[in-house]
Amino acid sequence: MSDPALGLLMLGLIVVVIMMGFPTAFTLMGLGMFFGFFAYYRGGEAWADNHIFDLMVQRTYGAMTNDVLISIPLFVLMGYVMERGALVDKMFYSIQLAFRRVPASLAVATLIVCTFWGIASGLVGAVVVLMGVIAFNPMLKAGYDVKLASGVITAGGTLGILIPPSVMIIVYAAVAGQSVVKLYAAAMFPGFFLAFLYLVYIIGWALINPKIAPKLPESETRVPVRPWVSELQQAYSRKMLPALFGALLAPAKAMNISVDGARIGYTMLLKNFGFALVPLVLTLATLWATWWYVVIHQQPDIPTPPAASIQHKVDDAPQPLGAGAASQPAEEKLEELGGGRSGAATRSEPETLQQMGSAELREQIKAAPSDAGPPPEFYTYFAFVAGIFGLVLLYYYWTMEAEQFEVLRLLISSVMPLGILTAVVLAVILLGITTATESAAVGAAGAFLLAFQARTLDWKRTKEAVFLTAKTTSMVCWLFVGSALFSAVFAILGGQALLESWVLSLNMTPVQFMILSQAIIFILGWPLEWTEIIVIFVPIFLPMLKHFGIDPILWGVLVFVNLQAAFLSPPVAMSAFYLKGVAPKHVTLNQIFSGMMPYMFIVIICMVLMYIWPGMTLWLPNYLYGN
Amino acid sequence: MNTQRLLHIIDGISTWFGKAAAWLIIGLMLLVCAEVFKRYILNMPTAWIFDASNMLYGTLFMIAGAYTLAQNAHVRGDFLYSSMRPRTQASLDLVLYIIFFLPGIAALAYAGWDYASQSYSINEHSNVTADGPPVYHFKFMIPLAGALLLLQGAAEIMRCVICLKTGVWPSRLKDVNEIDVVEEQLAHSEYVDDESRKEAIAHAANIEESARQRGMGGDLQR
Repeated sequence: MSDPALGLLMLGLIVVVIMMGFPTAFTLMGLGMFFGFFAYYRGGEAWADNHIFDLMVQRTYGAMTNDVLISIPLFVLMGYVMERGALVDKMFYSIQLAFRRVPASLAVATLIVCTFWGIASGLVGAVVVLMGVIAFNPMLKAGYDVKLASGVITAGGTLGILIPPSVMIIVYAAVAGQSVVKLYAAAMFPGFFLAFLYLVYIIGWALINPKIAPKLPESETRVPVRPWVSELQQAYSRKMLPALFGALLAPAKAMNISVDGARIGYTMLLKNFGFALVPLVLTLATLWATWWYVVIHQQPDIPTPPAASIQHKVDDAPQPLGAGAASQPAEEKLEELGGGRSGAATRSEPETLQQMGSAELREQIKAAPSDAGPPPEFYTYFAFVAGIFGLVLLYYYWTMEAEQFEVLRLLISSVMPLGILTAVVLAVILLGITTATESAAVGAAGAFLLAFQARTLDWKRTKEAVFLTAKTTSMVCWLFVGSALFSAVFAILGGQALLESWVLSLNMTPVQFMILSQAIIFILGWPLEWTEIIVIFVPIFLPMLKHFGIDPILWGVLVFVNLQAAFLSPPVAMSAFYLKGVAPKHVTLNQIFSGMMPYMFIVIICMVLMYIWPGMTLWLPNYLYGN
Repeated sequence: MNTQRLLHIIDGISTWFGKAAAWLIIGLMLLVCAEVFKRYILNMPTAWIFDASNMLYGTLFMIAGAYTLAQNAHVRGDFLYSSMRPRTQASLDLVLYIIFFLPGIAALAYAGWDYASQSYSINEHSNVTADGPPVYHFKFMIPLAGALLLLQGAAEIMRCVICLKTGVWPSRLKDVNEIDVVEEQLAHSEYVDDESRKEAIAHAANIEESARQRGMGGDLQR
């Protein structure tokens, strides 16, 4: 048997043995060992001298010193700590109150909590079970359609593996040799776009057919207003902001109001005034951060040696040397270790990015402006956006009465800490201020601090989070060790080359190849978990992407979204079984599956949109890191 | 049940090493945080941090491999496997442990020992920076992880044999599971009614099991 044929046999065997249910990491190691032994076999050599042993240990050491995989345990730890520190049911309750006037408010709140949860952790099972207890029964009690209720929980639960910071993206980055940061930036919009499409679908359906999501009875949506707040309103003003402000200026009347027998203190007034100001502060902080990143951060602070910038731009010829040197120093010194991928930080117009593949992109990039400042339109847009924010805030404060204030207070205590931490972690990674590993470590430490501050973390939970982190990390990284050996042997035997030449001989167009590869991954997603798909099967496709001029980042994000669809497809979707476990007896698996189906189609629509309009995926990474 | 005790002793050894290594994550987190502070705020980076964090991470996942195996937490394609009877599962596992697991891991331990002792004999230092820290102790983690996995693998093979004889999977040591978060969350919940809360907490583990249908035996000491 020829070597390449052996390679194909190996690929066939791996599929069979994985289906037999043996731990995949060891299957890969075992198969790689045996076939590698043959590949390296030379007559007359003692078996113990076979080079497969060297290859094996080198590959293992490679995984142990992999500077991309190192951020996995840190992100996983952050997820587990947050998951134990944040209180989901409080989150659900306050978000549901905030959206009480929206159609299908419970379903909307479920989706939002799932998205948030997806940011924090990447586990499907636990989210679905939790939301099944917290949201499914209330939805059924309120008379929601079973399909709507089960669909939103299963679809929302699987979002977690897609929305950054997700472990899946790190593993793909390690497999594909792409930068984690760029992939995060690329997965950002599609992830939230998908959540947005789900939201549109739920609200749209509830508007067309209000019967499937009846409004909650008045008693359920009434916001509990604490007595002192209404007394404060009577004493000063109906509107909460002037009332609190007035109480701060002239506290005499406020001091007469008593809470639980004791009088209100000045600190309490101050604290509540602070709560009322949070939306304003958050808006200002966002605007300032944008301003800082675009206007201040991009200014040259250290002159970069021209040599470095030449290296970055070998292939975008028309740029004047000075421009590149001026605009990129900040990113350059901080970029991910993935190599010189961050390139020039010069921005290009969004409309030029709407073609697929970086090859076309590069041709169409206009010459960068020769100064490092932002384009002139930026100021107009910025002023416009700031104006809109201002008006919204004005309206918000104008209409803020006791109920709104109480909702705000609930939101601040339940959602905001988690929200701010994740926003900061993501922003720090995306803006290239620190590497993914560093942000992950800071994020994990931040999660610990938040949980300690909320007094939700004790010794037992800390231990649990640490041990779970070890188990998950070890599962992913051992799989990586196994597949590193396996793919090396596969390449040595020539299986990869044979497969490639076969695919190329089919003379497919890039679109056909894209559809074929995604369809294969979709089907693999039924029986397998994402870890196995990304680590074993994705590397087979990766070298072929170049032939078809497909950007590996775009392809990777399509794979992530694709896996969402695969995990929502009956009858193999695990989340359906999780939900069935907590659902009341009368809910059948078939109802859950039929509830999931529409979401599967939404995911496929999302993939088509991403393909037709790659700018959605590639705009952010290109904007932040250039080409 | 003497074999059962032996199994739990081996599980205990793997778990002890795994949990000890698990704490390295806290060290890694603190180390990187301290480096972030030093690099970005004090502007004085440290050269050996890169090597040190790699060592913490590498040791963590290598040593935790046997622990993960002892908890049956290595990912497996359980699509068909989960619906088989325990005896079928055990016979498949037994064969695959002997033809794939044992040679693969034995080779890793053997080659790893050579690799690490060579590194030790030349007193190898990291070449990431000019004056890197020694790396041979880190390389010795490969044979150590291999040895732990071999031991745990022997326990797993014994489990398969017992299951073939009795038709049920022998128990494993109880440990924290991902699904436990349901209990943690619901125990403090204020807005979920008591009845559904208690029911969910009581069944959380079963839900996990029936969703995965992993069928590798009930947990001990529950």
